[in-house]
This record gives sequence, C-alpha cells and structure tokens, in this order.
Amino acid sequence: MGLVKKEEYAFDTMPGVDVVLTKIDYVVNWARSNSLWPLTFGTSCCAIEMLMATGGPRHDLARFGAEVTRPSPRQADLLILAGTIVKRMAPRLRTLYDQMAEPRYVIATGACTISGGPFLYHSYSTIRGADEIIPVDVYVPGCPPRPESLLHGLLTLQKLIKEGQTIRKPGVRHKPVISEIPEGVSREDITAEMVELLEHDSVVNIEETLGNLERPTGI
Amino acid sequence: MTTEELFQVITELEPSAKQSEKTSDRPTVEVPPEALVALMQKLRDDPRLSFNMLLAHTAVDWLEERLFEMVYQLYSPQNQQYLAVLVYVPRNNPVVPTISSIWRIAEFQEREVYDLLGVLYDEHPDLRRLFLEDDWTGFPLRKSYQDDFILERPK
Repeated sequence: MGLVKKEEYAFDTMPGVDVVLTKIDYVVNWARSNSLWPLTFGTSCCAIEMLMATGGPRHDLARFGAEVTRPSPRQADLLILAGTIVKRMAPRLRTLYDQMAEPRYVIATGACTISGGPFLYHSYSTIRGADEIIPVDVYVPGCPPRPESLLHGLLTLQKLIKEGQTIRKPGVRHKPVISEIPEGVSREDITAEMVELLEHDSVVNIEETLGNLERPTGI
Repeated sequence: MTTEELFQVITELEPSAKQSEKTSDRPTVEVPPEALVALMQKLRDDPRLSFNMLLAHTAVDWLEERLFEMVYQLYSPQNQQYLAVLVYVPRNNPVVPTISSIWRIAEFQEREVYDLLGVLYDEHPDLRRLFLEDDWTGFPLRKSYQDDFILERPK
C-alpha cells in the first residue's frame, strides 16, 4: 500500500570477511522511532475520544513501540497534544516541553490544538494553535481525529525520525507535516502496514545476509 | 408540595419576593437585593421548604435592559423540588449581598461570577479572581467586553 516509504535495507556486507556493516544513524533512528514514550497532554475531548481510545485494547498503541505513556516530561520524548490550549495553560505547556529530554517530538492532534478550531473567533482565552508556543512535528487533523488518524500520525512521525535526523547535526528538525489519511484507507490497512513495518525493522536475518558472502576458500 | 403552595409559603416568609413572569421549567421567584440573604436563610431553614442545596449560581448580562440577572438554583432533596431565585441589579453598579454565609460553596461560585462578569459581592470573605490571571483587566463574559486578543470573524 505504501503509506510509508520503507527504509532501504540498512545492512551491508563487506566482501572477503565475515563483517556486517550498518550506519550508526540508522540504528539510532531505528531505536528512537520504535521506542517513543509519549507524554499525554490531554486538555479536552480529544484526549478521551482519540488518545485514550488509541491506548485502549481495540486500537492498542502499545503494539508500535509507543507504549509507556509517561506522566512526567523528564521520561518522555513525544508530546501528544490533545485538546484546547488556553492562555493560562500556555506557560505550563512551554515548561513541560522544555523539561523533556532531547530529542523530543510533538504531535498536535485535533482542530483546537492545530488552529484554535471552533474557538478561533470571539474567544478571549484560547491559543490559536500549539505552534504559537512550541514547535510541532506532525499535525493530525480532525475534530476529534479517529484513533487510526493518531496511529497514522505516529507512523508519519516514525518515518520522519528514520529519514531525518543524523547524529552529526543534532537539533536539525524536519519541517512539520500534516498527517492526513489518504482516501479509502481503513484502520486495518494502517495497522497491517505498521505491523509489516515493525517486522521489517526488527527482524534481521543474519544467516541470509551472511549466506550471501563470498567466502574465501580454504578457511 | 405543589407550585402554588410553594409560592404561598415563600410570600408568607418574605413579602417582597414575587413570582417571576419569565417562562421557566421550574418555579422562579424574584427578590430585591436587600431581601436576598433573609429570603435565602428562610428558604434553607424553613422545615416546610428545606432548600438546603445551592446547585448553581450564575449571572446573565442583559445589555439592552442595562441589568445583571443573578440566578440562584436551589434544590430540596427532602421534597425533591427545584427553585430558581432571581435578583436584578443595575449594570453600572452591580453589587449584591453575598450568600456565602448560608452556603459555603457560594464563595467559589460568587468568585467565578465576579471573575467573568464583574459582579461585586458585599461582605464576601475572599473576592478574588478564580479562573483568569490576577492581572487580567476586564470581565470577559460581559457582552461589552473587548480586548486586543479577540479575533473577529471576517465579513
């Protein structure tokens, strides 16, 4: 289906010797993208309809490495914003973001978080978009988004992490992207894609890789 | 107790209280501000009524009539009966007596109304802002409220 571009096979062999080569960038990014610990920042209905539903057994975020939802920003590296952000909450949100360890990622979900949503006009209190306070990596539109939209947003973020960061230039960020589910794609497609991606990433057939080596004779 | 009997008892307790002409789904009485505390005390303590629960307190800004309508929602668990008490105060001098000596929860509800509508409560023990920052200027739920932050919908 190709929702997410798969990483090229990252293992290479060196002819003549029993050595497998890979890239530190690849390994680090692979580890980071598959162990996202989210800090839940649920301030209104999106938190229940989307975030808690995604964490629950039906959609089950835990399958994709984003399992350990942390109540403390010190232990989290993904901030999932779900809900309206008001003026009085804004400094607290900034503090939470600053307390998170690098590298940190932000997913903004729902109309209120992205733009102020229904409170865009005539509101004395609502911040018009989380990106007025903190940088956002992935936007997940919807009011509220379906749980599979969050899964898709997570997939998009994992793809961003895998493609993007290099340990040579820490802190260089991707431009934020909008993660919208393409038409005709169902929840089953997304979960199947995620499972396939996870297996592709985590299962390395060393035997097969080594089997392709041209072993020098006589050893 | 039927609604007629209820009004009869209330008028007997507090002659200045009268039945509201507003259409409502629950019995409603209007009372002048100076008689509010006396009426509330009697509504709570009279054994026939025993409205001992203050469900909600809020206010309505009537910009054209230049009035604030204070709304007190009472409930009597004993009689399973609701009652709304209305008090009208002028918009340019919105002062009502506090009822926090009768119901302690009114202290916070009145702070909320003060915070958002700027109604002043006479003899309130701790009249500070509740939701907004302490340095906020103005009262945002007033119909006349404006500030630089608010966006108007483009025509």
